[in-house]
Amino acid sequence: MLRIRYFGHSTFALESAETSLLLNPGIWDGEPVVPDDFDVRVIALTHHMDDAVGNATAIAENSKAWILGNERTIERVREQGGRPWLLHVLRPEEPYTIPGLSITPYSLQRADPDTGERFENLGLYIEMGSMRVGYLGDTVVRGPFGQLEMDILITPVGGGDVFPIKDAVSLCIDAAPRLGIPARASSPDQVSKFAKYVDQFSSSTVPMVMEPGQVLEVMWAAGNEFRYTLS
Amino acid sequence: MVVIDLEESEKTVIGELSELQSAEATGVLSINNVSEQNRIWNVRVLLDDTRGRTTFEEDVLHAGEIDAGSQWRTEYGIEIDAPVLTLTEVYDTCSTVESEKPHWAYAFGKENPVRITITVKNECDGQIDDIAVTKWIPPELDNVVIESMESGNANYDPENRQVVWNDFIVYPGESSTLVITATATVEDSSPKDAGKILVTYRAEGQQRSVLAPDMTALTDFLTGIDTAETEPNQWECTLECSNESDLMVRLDRAEAYVEPEGGGEKVKMIDEAPALEMEPNAEWSKMFEIESKSPPRCTHDVVYTPMRTVTKRVLGTIEKVPQTIPVYQIDYMKEFDPPSVASFDKTPVEVTVEVKNVGSARLNEVTVEDHLPDDVMPPKREHITVWVKGEEYTGDYEFSIEPDDQDPEKPHTLTFRITGLKDTVGELEPGESIKINYAIMAWRNRPEKEYPSPIHCTANTYPAGLITEIGSAPDGHKLGVIYKKRRIAVKKGINRGAGAGEYDVVIVVENKGEVTVENVVVRDWIPAGFEFQSVDPPEEEPSLQSAEDGTDLIWRWARMSPGDKKKMVVHVRGEGEYERREPVVTSD
Repeated sequence: MLRIRYFGHSTFALESAETSLLLNPGIWDGEPVVPDDFDVRVIALTHHMDDAVGNATAIAENSKAWILGNERTIERVREQGGRPWLLHVLRPEEPYTIPGLSITPYSLQRADPDTGERFENLGLYIEMGSMRVGYLGDTVVRGPFGQLEMDILITPVGGGDVFPIKDAVSLCIDAAPRLGIPARASSPDQVSKFAKYVDQFSSSTVPMVMEPGQVLEVMWAAGNEFRYTLS
Repeated sequence: MVVIDLEESEKTVIGELSELQSAEATGVLSINNVSEQNRIWNVRVLLDDTRGRTTFEEDVLHAGEIDAGSQWRTEYGIEIDAPVLTLTEVYDTCSTVESEKPHWAYAFGKENPVRITITVKNECDGQIDDIAVTKWIPPELDNVVIESMESGNANYDPENRQVVWNDFIVYPGESSTLVITATATVEDSSPKDAGKILVTYRAEGQQRSVLAPDMTALTDFLTGIDTAETEPNQWECTLECSNESDLMVRLDRAEAYVEPEGGGEKVKMIDEAPALEMEPNAEWSKMFEIESKSPPRCTHDVVYTPMRTVTKRVLGTIEKVPQTIPVYQIDYMKEFDPPSVASFDKTPVEVTVEVKNVGSARLNEVTVEDHLPDDVMPPKREHITVWVKGEEYTGDYEFSIEPDDQDPEKPHTLTFRITGLKDTVGELEPGESIKINYAIMAWRNRPEKEYPSPIHCTANTYPAGLITEIGSAPDGHKLGVIYKKRRIAVKKGINRGAGAGEYDVVIVVENKGEVTVENVVVRDWIPAGFEFQSVDPPEEEPSLQSAEDGTDLIWRWARMSPGDKKKMVVHVRGEGEYERREPVVTSD
């Protein structure tokens, strides 16, 4: 079973019986989305900006969690005082594997909100709790995720620096995950439109709109029946 | 005979749908002394208990003296509930469509087949004649034809735009009908005037009051008693009356009295009530005998009156207020949001269609036929939202999609039919609208192609007549396609391998464009003398094809999104110089 907790924006925590993974614990308007004392084993950051890195250093310090990211991101964490022995550089398409967790990063892109220039944002293909989760972070491109087999796809929908709704929906249609979870919406309307369009145009994906604080439990019942419950 | 004449006039106004609005009646009671030479006086008109529902306040009217050939008259009011002749007009704006109730509005932009049915009915027990019906024909009407009439003559005067129907009689309890047909065409949506109707008629011998007037009067009439002694102390007394006028006089009572010689009560000797109608110059006498020593002292009392006859009639007018005929007309708005989509991409597009009642009539049903081009995935019914009058409509409506699938490779026609509004949320009033929203998915649209999405909207009233319609041009409402440049790059590097004659050829293919590319084919070449060994990653193994001077390596990918990158390292082994040729990439 996999539990997916939504903190808001792009931040999720994935928990299985064996381990836990925190994704992009960003800071928004000066406020961290995840408390510093959040207990987690691994923190994965898809890029180096504050809305991904956030207070990852403090969380890792408290919980002795690994921090994963590309070189630029790890450098940023190091500058923030991250313990070097807790840092691990992710390289595109090189799986990071520990018991109960495998993360394969793919080099995607995100636009800089100030300059518009693109820089690397990792898309993460996560295998955890018998589930395959695609987490696109703050991507503006889909990369190979249209061809990957996923049970759950977490995709931004906010437009601007990240995916617009159309690309998120289009990816759901092509990749056909069982659940499509919108994130990083800049308005509630974007989430409802994502849900409407996925419901309407994707034959195999159920749109799963999560509110901050909600927990989604997904499991394989009897080994082959996909089930989910949203708290 | 003296003529008592009752001429009562009724004036009726009926409303747009022939409902009675007002009915008023007045009368003129006149006494006409038809004598050529004799005056009548002490004229009294006796109404007694027949003056009910009139404005007469006394049972007896005092007319005084009326000279020969002169007239005395008085006017009065009458309370009535309805006229003796009723008029109904049925103005049906769409005679070609059968319905229980007549159609009441013009369809904008159509030739409305109008049928006007005018019926007059005699509600009294006497015949009504001198009927004249005039119908004003409104300017919107053309091709005016008198289709039928049950009696009389009817003609259309195009100069005055009037149909006049006259020369007929309607017998008690019966009716007569005139049918006019025409074609109405309206240029704008303001309500139209259907033309008034004026009816005049005469019912001889009829009256609206229940007055039954009688009259008493005096005229030139002589009376007296002739006493003649026939034997001593025997007298023959004769009461004599003679009509000295040229009028008929009725002698109603004749009495004669004698005073006893010794005094005492008078003794009535003649007591007659002959009710005798006396011609001019006619005489009447009655004799009695009496014994008396002196000439008897006789008196008499004679009551007479000039005879009268009563004539009466009802004169009537009915004015029908012109029916107001509204016009039903619609306008529409169709929008795509976004109005344009990126080429070769999948983009959800919100489609909003609003049909507005821009006429002056209420609408009971609206139909929208929306055509979607190919390369567009149509909506499912459950994702369609309809608003009526600004409120989300949860009532039932017909929706169909043809063909009934979501295949984006085919064009589709969506039909929305919202009917029976009067029984659900009420008819669509002027200014109100129906809005439909749904999403489509633009599906990899090509920039060189056009995607028209024409629309056709219709509306109707209750009862349904001709539709009013509006639509776009057949190539209207094009979904815009923004050309996004495709840019796919391929790079190649040749590196020495671990062993002699071994080379690692690095091929990098990257979609650097703004859109997804499909059917990507990369073709590289291994020179003769070298052989393909393996590739990293193994799942990107190319297909090999022998060529004259070596071997072709071919990779195929169905789709590469913007930012997608493929990197393959091909291990080759052989002898000789490894010649470099540039790989070639093609895509859709």
